[in-house]
Amino acid sequence: MKKWSDDEYIEDLKEDVLERGEDDKVAIAVENLYKSFKLPTEKAFGLKQAIFNRLKGIKGYRRQEVLKGISFEVKKGEFLGIVGRNGSGKSTLLKILSEIYIPDKGTVRVNGTLVPFIELGVGFNPELTGRENVYLNGALLGFSNKEMDEMYDEIVRFAELDQFMDQKLKNYSSGMQVRLAFSIAIRAKGDILVLDEVLAVGDAAFQEKCNDYFKSLHGNQTVILVTHSMDNVEKFCDRAILIEDGKIACEGKPGKVTKAYQKLWS
Amino acid sequence: MRFFIFSKKNRILLGELTKTDFKLRYQGSVLGYMWAVIKPLLMFAILYVVFAKILRFGNEIPHYPVYLLTGTVLWNFFVECTQQGIHSIEQRGDLIRKISFPKYIVVVSATSTAVINVAINICVVVVFALINGVMPSLSWLMIVPLLLELYLFALGISLLLGAINVKYRDISSIWEVLTQALFYAVPVIYPLSMVMNSSVVAAKIIMINPVAQVIQDARYNLITTETATGWGISGVWWGLLTLAIVLILLIISIIFFQKRAEHFAEEV
Repeated sequence: MKKWSDDEYIEDLKEDVLERGEDDKVAIAVENLYKSFKLPTEKAFGLKQAIFNRLKGIKGYRRQEVLKGISFEVKKGEFLGIVGRNGSGKSTLLKILSEIYIPDKGTVRVNGTLVPFIELGVGFNPELTGRENVYLNGALLGFSNKEMDEMYDEIVRFAELDQFMDQKLKNYSSGMQVRLAFSIAIRAKGDILVLDEVLAVGDAAFQEKCNDYFKSLHGNQTVILVTHSMDNVEKFCDRAILIEDGKIACEGKPGKVTKAYQKLWS
Repeated sequence: MRFFIFSKKNRILLGELTKTDFKLRYQGSVLGYMWAVIKPLLMFAILYVVFAKILRFGNEIPHYPVYLLTGTVLWNFFVECTQQGIHSIEQRGDLIRKISFPKYIVVVSATSTAVINVAINICVVVVFALINGVMPSLSWLMIVPLLLELYLFALGISLLLGAINVKYRDISSIWEVLTQALFYAVPVIYPLSMVMNSSVVAAKIIMINPVAQVIQDARYNLITTETATGWGISGVWWGLLTLAIVLILLIISIIFFQKRAEHFAEEV
């Protein structure tokens, strides 16, 4: 059978969803989020300039408002896509959801465990073996060794890297490295998965496998996906959000949002 | 506060990061972990030849070579600990920008390599002491609380300066120069009695420094009760002052670090 024996895993997820019951259907509630950054102006570097600025009352930075009042909800089991141009605030939003940044104003309520993938393979070290990297990455994501033991075989199987796990990562091809990182991402058992533009990895066969996997997740796993690929939005997402200039410009069915996205350039 | 939660999850992360640091430390070197022992011994050999043989320091001190080795081992621990700790936040910037976890873990894991090293080195000191004919005694156990005190002092400095170093990278360079200067303000190579002969006040001032206090106390408990200690020349209450300095610095550092940590992801 072409359908790899992941059905068990999916069943597992389904049961989890059923067990949780109807008591709380909201996975993430974001309310009125504001975030700005201090960006140093180019003249702010160096001691001389700092003193000069202080004397003249020039602030050495300007405030860049990145998020200006974002509110949305994600239901349990929902696959939400977030789209927008470069610099519109998508990644900042994900980083706030992942508790990397602290918002200036507004609240984020997360129901369950959130596993963030702002980048694949965070903490990967070329001098460590594949196995060591998997456990290190897992620890960074908040999994215990025992939990990683349980996930390990699935991760290796999905990445198809069985014979390479005791090799140092620097001896992997870049495709193999990404495959390993990506397998950790999608095998990580969390209630909510946050993915930042990580779908385009591996060769065609691996891509297809990932696509199948994402489709099979449908309705079982809460996922937030930031992407520039409108194809992926229409293929996987239940709902999408378009962020423009730090605000939600459009929200709703994938088809509607992708149209709004394409209109940004017309 | 999140800083104080030493949960299972944080412990695991700390363990993994420490393991990684230690594994990568001597990566690609032929002698590997042996360097943890060889390096301080070589340093000791240099100091021994220069100061004990050429300049003839410490003739009046029994077991001077072991005495010198204890000093260099503890001093190296302090330097390694603080330098690793101060750099740690900046060096782990890639993690901090992409994953949320309590930031103190980075500092603690960076300094724990030094802790492992000093543990190995103290064993070397003990072997040397036995060879040199020092009688083993129960007071040797005092080395454990003394090491803890030195570690907490180094940790306090690391948290404080490491947090500032995120924004002002000058800090790590300043600290490097400062430790060089501090080396001569701590009785590592010269015996404290030499200072006392010319000025007791100067000796008292030197002994306010927790590093100096720990080194002298370690020598007192490990090697010879004939060496001068901070509480020996200034009284017990004066001696407790160094302990107070360590604890107050640590508390201030933790509070400061905790306050700054929220912004590390944006600034690093």
